[in-house]
Amino acid sequence: MVRREFLKKIIKLAFTILILLWGAVFSVFVYPSRIRKKSLVFHYIFEEDSLPERGVRQVVVSFSKDGRKVRSRAFIVNTGDELFALSPVCSHLGCLVNWHRPKNRFLCPCHGGQYDMRGNVIKGPPPAPLGRLPLRIEGGRVFIGIRV
Amino acid sequence: MGKIFDWIDSRFGVKQPHRKFLYRPLPEGVNYSFCLGGVALLLFGMLFFTGLMLSIYYVPSESGAFESIVRINREVRLGWFVRSLHKWSAHLLIISIILHTIRVFIYRAYRPPRELNWIAGSLTLIVAFASGFTGYLLPWDQKAYWATEVGTSMAGTVPFLGRYLLYLVRGGADVTGATLIRFYAVHVLYLPFLMFMLLWAHFHMIKKQGIKGGL
Repeated sequence: MVRREFLKKIIKLAFTILILLWGAVFSVFVYPSRIRKKSLVFHYIFEEDSLPERGVRQVVVSFSKDGRKVRSRAFIVNTGDELFALSPVCSHLGCLVNWHRPKNRFLCPCHGGQYDMRGNVIKGPPPAPLGRLPLRIEGGRVFIGIRV
Repeated sequence: MGKIFDWIDSRFGVKQPHRKFLYRPLPEGVNYSFCLGGVALLLFGMLFFTGLMLSIYYVPSESGAFESIVRINREVRLGWFVRSLHKWSAHLLIISIILHTIRVFIYRAYRPPRELNWIAGSLTLIVAFASGFTGYLLPWDQKAYWATEVGTSMAGTVPFLGRYLLYLVRGGADVTGATLIRFYAVHVLYLPFLMFMLLWAHFHMIKKQGIKGGL
């Protein structure tokens, strides 16, 4: 009887180890092996004289990523005393906001987040203001930095 | 039953052990609201078989998914019908599970000794929700993409683990073809398998414990 109990314990232990091992292998296996690091790439958008004198202007940047054409949006904002670029990605859950001129606000179509011209939250669930993108002006040409 | 079935059953023996279950007297106070669980099972069966059919034509790839859906709708014979059945059964499954849950709650059928069956039922609802969420991405259109962008972003809001969970469900930093394949595998293999196990447990416990009668 002692031998039987001993063997039972060994078998239980073996199965426990097997299941734990399988769990470990599974979780390592399903986690993505390569999470592409995004690097900041500057894209030409327009000449310097196309910059808005006051207000918001939407720009669309096309580039290829992994052999596919991708279009990315951004907003160039001139408040009168400051010029900057805003990312359209809502800080709530990642939808793209639109500039609504009659209301002078950025509106998120998903959960009603609202931002003012500077990207600060006015209303809704967003926990943080809209992100700013680096803007570079070289020799009369305007470049915007987008993480690709 | 027919002769062929009797021939099989005299060797296989599935009838006798189920006789007690299938021909048992029902408790007092049972009404048609007790059929809601059966409705849910019927809808799950519909989803399973229409899903088997759709998987013949659906292509789970970044470049082919949307096209294959258009093809199912326009070219495949009765494709529009099978896809609609799948879609509507999915909506009705969620509704019928929730109604079934409300019925069980009202009749206090979650009380001992049926607590574990309440838990199994709750897990079934979660698996049904997960199936709905993963299936929603598969058409790979704008609505599917943004719904998944939003849905997976929620995983990212979990404290400490958020970023890892986000990469795990997306298969990378963004919603891409890797996410689509992940969701497809979970939708057609993992979740149906889990559902079968849960339903087996659910019905096993009903068989052992019997139906809780009226109030």
